[in-house]
Amino acid sequence: MEPERQCPQCRRKIPWGQTECPFCPGQGGYFWTLRRDTFLLMIFVFLILLFVVTGFTVRMYQAVEKGFGQEWYTRGEADLSAGRAEAALADFRTALSYSHDNAQYQLRLAQALVAVGNSGEARAEARTYLLNLLEHEPGNATVNLELARLAAADHAVPDALRFYHGAIYGEWDADPMVRRRAARLELVEFLLDAGQKDSARAELIDLAADLPADPALQTQVGTLLMRVQGYDDALKLFRQALVEEPRSPAALAGAGECHFQKGDYAQAERYLARAVQQDPHLTQAAAMRDTAQAVLNLDPFNRRLGNLERARRAVQDLNSALTRLESCAAQKGIDLKAAGNDPLQALYAQATQLQPHAQQQYLSRDSELLSQVMDVAFGMEQATAHACGEPQGTDLALLLLAREQGGTRP
Amino acid sequence: MSVPPMTAPVPSDVPPPSSSGKGAKLLKRLGWAPEGETLKQTQLFLLLAAIIGLFSGLSVVLFRIAIDWTKLLAFGSALVPPWTRSLMVPTIGGLVVGYLVIRFFPRVRGSGVNQTKAAVYIFDGYIPFDTVIGKFITCACAIGTGQSLGPEDPSLQMGAGIASALGRRLRLSREKVRLIAPVGAAAGLAAAFNAPISAVIFVIEEVIGNWSAGVLGAIVLSAVASVVVSRWFLGDQPLFRIPAYHLVHPAELLAYAALGVMGGVSSLAFVKVIAYARPRLKALPHWTQYIQPAVAGLLIGVIGIWFPQVMGAGYGYIDQAMHDQFTWQILALLAAFKILSTSLSFVSGTPGGMFAPTLFIGAMLGGAVGGIEHHFFPWLTGGVGAYALVGMGTLFAGFLRVPLTSVFMVLEVSGNYSIILPVMISNTIAYLISRQYQPTPLFDLLSRQDGMDLPSMEERREEATLHVEDAMRAYQGVVLNSDDPILVALTRAEASTEIFVLVKDGPESWHGIKKDELRRWAPHMRQADPLHDLLPAMTLPCLHPDQPLDEALRRLGEWPLLPVVSRADLGRLEGVVSLPDVLQAYRAAG
Repeated sequence: MEPERQCPQCRRKIPWGQTECPFCPGQGGYFWTLRRDTFLLMIFVFLILLFVVTGFTVRMYQAVEKGFGQEWYTRGEADLSAGRAEAALADFRTALSYSHDNAQYQLRLAQALVAVGNSGEARAEARTYLLNLLEHEPGNATVNLELARLAAADHAVPDALRFYHGAIYGEWDADPMVRRRAARLELVEFLLDAGQKDSARAELIDLAADLPADPALQTQVGTLLMRVQGYDDALKLFRQALVEEPRSPAALAGAGECHFQKGDYAQAERYLARAVQQDPHLTQAAAMRDTAQAVLNLDPFNRRLGNLERARRAVQDLNSALTRLESCAAQKGIDLKAAGNDPLQALYAQATQLQPHAQQQYLSRDSELLSQVMDVAFGMEQATAHACGEPQGTDLALLLLAREQGGTRP
Repeated sequence: MSVPPMTAPVPSDVPPPSSSGKGAKLLKRLGWAPEGETLKQTQLFLLLAAIIGLFSGLSVVLFRIAIDWTKLLAFGSALVPPWTRSLMVPTIGGLVVGYLVIRFFPRVRGSGVNQTKAAVYIFDGYIPFDTVIGKFITCACAIGTGQSLGPEDPSLQMGAGIASALGRRLRLSREKVRLIAPVGAAAGLAAAFNAPISAVIFVIEEVIGNWSAGVLGAIVLSAVASVVVSRWFLGDQPLFRIPAYHLVHPAELLAYAALGVMGGVSSLAFVKVIAYARPRLKALPHWTQYIQPAVAGLLIGVIGIWFPQVMGAGYGYIDQAMHDQFTWQILALLAAFKILSTSLSFVSGTPGGMFAPTLFIGAMLGGAVGGIEHHFFPWLTGGVGAYALVGMGTLFAGFLRVPLTSVFMVLEVSGNYSIILPVMISNTIAYLISRQYQPTPLFDLLSRQDGMDLPSMEERREEATLHVEDAMRAYQGVVLNSDDPILVALTRAEASTEIFVLVKDGPESWHGIKKDELRRWAPHMRQADPLHDLLPAMTLPCLHPDQPLDEALRRLGEWPLLPVVSRADLGRLEGVVSLPDVLQAYRAAG
């Protein structure tokens, strides 16, 4: 360390490294000769110049950063398109490091994280970015939708509902109606998966109210409505679809199923038959059509039938039900002829007691007896369905008739 | 080096030149020179504070751009540089910085806080302007090329340097030049931190050491001006995106107390490493100082191959730590490696600041502790981000030993008052642990290693202040009344053991007279004359028991003793104080 020296003029210490006192005037140099006020004015001028220089430098640097950000973002999009998701993640992260508040970069990074990351950390990171975006733009529908998907993946129903609604009622950059519908459909799927049928039905009814004349869309929503037992609303949509596209197999099948579920087997049979005619690969519709036909053929209470035919059907139904009862009892190891408390045994006893009277000639004359026979037949079908599971073919048709409380009784 | 007394005789200041130019007229028109020909010192000081704030803000903006641009040029635009660059850039950067520091800017070594303190306490506020330039260039190069240091302390010194240059050129008085350096320091730090309150408190807590009203206004003004400039150009986004935090149950404070313990231990380890290694590296042959920053850079580069987060200031990674983007294992490793790399950078003489690394280590440590606690106690509601935030303050309190700044810094950065309880608990514990096992704070330690005995603000804060009551004794004599006849007064005074007798003159006024004088003058007076006629015109200055003892020293002057009276009743005598009493009290206090 240098020895301390003192200025002979002001008697202050001269700091180390200095040859002359820095405090005293007359040290040479232009600035020391200026008056204080003039110097102050010069400072202001210099300040303004420095402002300009700083502003220019900052803008230049920000432009460089923006350029790098865009470059890495483009690279990320390319990597994502090429299926290199991990590389895309790194690219988006780098892009974001150059433009921290760029909403587009944050959103793409979050989307990439959602797409790539199965881990909780990746989802948490994505959620952080998305929540940050949402804080700045609460009405951003895309961000809401991504958050809703994250919440749905975590089975967080209230959060998912909130964010899905944010997406449905939020602002979309392009095709808002289409995207809102898509978001609502996604919400419905989520609600159905979560077992919230009432909420799903409410959403579907809202959706159905604003649907455009698009048969595919109407059919899609109608099909979803059927999943929540909204058969009346679904039927309306299928009919609207059939106005635009009368031969649409899906709409025909949907309409047929709606009628079937409502117990209108004649209409169901007609729609389903047309559906299968249009598309023979609709196996489920074909099976339903067969069942509907069977129901129509087995129903003894059809008003158009004559008494003899009515009686013939009743005898046939009783015999079918009895056969089904015997087969079910054998399957369960129940001795039908023995006395016991089992409902199958009781029904069997009733049926065998009634069988001698269940002759076509008696039944055609005694509608009371016919009703009694059919009640026993329906009872047997319901009991065997309960004990041995849903039947097929004729028995299924009889069971459906039973569920319709005896069919269309006169 | 001996410290000159702060109250040394001050030469008459250079008179301000008369101003009759256009500049003076304009200033007058602007209302800055309302009286007289030129600006008064006080007005000029405040105007200068604002100007310093603007200049500091601009220089800090340019400084930060310089750091970022250097980093971009040196490491490329990728987030994680290739390993070859991780090794080469800090090494080459270290060589360049070493050469520049040794050959051109020898004063820029270190963080800048002590240099600013030295300017205030040793060099009458003088900081050469080439220090500002040197600090700018070398720190931008060092931090930009990956040395594990931060830009805040250099910004502080640059602000102080700018202030010193302007103050000297405007021929402020010695006292004002000495005070203007902290004003610039606050401005520089405020702009770098984007946190004016913390900057003001830090400068008061660590540089000036007291809340002087004379300088506080100027410091606040300059800090605000610099932050306004910084936000204008760089935006008003905070340094970190702060996660939401709410203290749900008071029992959770125990978890933060554990963080305080960890923070205290880590701070201690950090200080001990620097205290051990720095003098040893300085003692190596002079030529090694050229390559010490390069060697440090190489080692940091090796760490950076696996943990690139430790290179540079690392604010981006602090932000990530606050948002759960690292596992607690990674956070713990990052804290440990950052302590190592910052120690390497700092002890090698590379210029750069300690603030950012301290925040980094604190955030990582806090996040790690939070992660571990969540692992074992999943019911804790505070997120890892909250622990990282509290951790920053904890290291600040434990390592830099600025407890008040540490609390305000977290509050200012987070803008969340709910965090204050965890911060206060954690910071206090870390501070107490650090102080217990490392009595000398970091900045004082560094200055002593450099051969300077700068005043320790921590010691100064903790000095026991003596009060008048510590020196006061019971008055042994009689209290005369100014209405007493002189003969009666003399008779009563003769009975007193005190050589100086107190005289009550009215309900609140006190006089005093020596017995000798009374004896000498009494024969010349009539017996019925009141004592009042003999009393000097000047009343005795009174003291109160709670006043500082140096106040008694100042007031005693030529009086042999002074009355100590109650604040509630100025006529009630509590005791007396004389010069021997005061000296005895100081002696007793050691």
